[in-house]
Amino acid sequence: MQQQQQQGQSGGSEMEVTWEDQQNINKFGRLNNRLHELEDEIKIAKESNDNLEDAGNELILTDEDVVRFQIGEVFAHVPKDEVETRIEQMKEATSQNLEKLEEEKESIIAQMAELKKILYGKFKDSINLEEE
Amino acid sequence: MASSSSSTEAGVVAERRGIPGAQFVEDVQTYLNQSGLDVNSALAFLQERLQQYKVVEMKLLAQQRDLQAKIPDIEKCLDVVATLQAKKGTGEALITDFEVSEGIYSRARIEDTDSVCLWLGANVMLEYSCEEATALLQKNLDNAKASLEVLVADLQFLRDQVTITQVTIARVYNWDVHQRRVRQAAGVAIES
Repeated sequence: MQQQQQQGQSGGSEMEVTWEDQQNINKFGRLNNRLHELEDEIKIAKESNDNLEDAGNELILTDEDVVRFQIGEVFAHVPKDEVETRIEQMKEATSQNLEKLEEEKESIIAQMAELKKILYGKFKDSINLEEE
Repeated sequence: MASSSSSTEAGVVAERRGIPGAQFVEDVQTYLNQSGLDVNSALAFLQERLQQYKVVEMKLLAQQRDLQAKIPDIEKCLDVVATLQAKKGTGEALITDFEVSEGIYSRARIEDTDSVCLWLGANVMLEYSCEEATALLQKNLDNAKASLEVLVADLQFLRDQVTITQVTIARVYNWDVHQRRVRQAAGVAIES
């Protein structure tokens, strides 16, 4: 059956597309979009992590007791110890967030690989699932 | 035509919040017969649908960007109010450096305070107690997050409709090419 469907070049072959196929294609599209969003979010989270690292290092180097720490739009004068604690908390939160994002990314890549197998299996050349 | 967003057996969702659903085509021949359109008209109709979807997508993406910018802002405000509340107990004043103009900062001394002023937009600022302010900001944050979720779902639905329409366009086009080849082959057979 698949040989018959492949008789034309891309275009000109009578392609059977079932609702299930359509749903698979839709799902692949959704996953692809989410993957791009995730990659952006991961980049931002990594930058944030690096910034917090740098801030922590700067803190160790400084000999002032009071540090100007950004809260909202203003820089509050906060004792060094409190700043250290806050930065630790923020690093924890960002690391956990980053881990969660990476996990989601792995899962999506796996799902997309599965769908690719199914869709290429049915449509072979008639479908293109690669990045431009 | 149901205006809810539940799927029927053929998987046709009529519409969702004003976005028309794309009809899934089981068989191209049947679809063309049913709609009474010839291939070119059908293709034109589908292309137009695709354009309309694109316009709606732009609008939704803009709304999404706004919400995504608003949420960190609200979180920052909550942070500040929380800091002020924490300071309240200690009796010390909070000293902060704030921006007066771009690149220019000034020092402020914030004494123990029970109230804060919140900017509500439209040139309106209201004074609230710290607790009320926290409650209001939290409510705004929850609303913004809920709106964002709905928006993301809308975008997913929209993108699905775009994909369905694109696949339908490809299939109608391929069907047409296939028909022409069949007719050509039949024509050649008759001649020879």
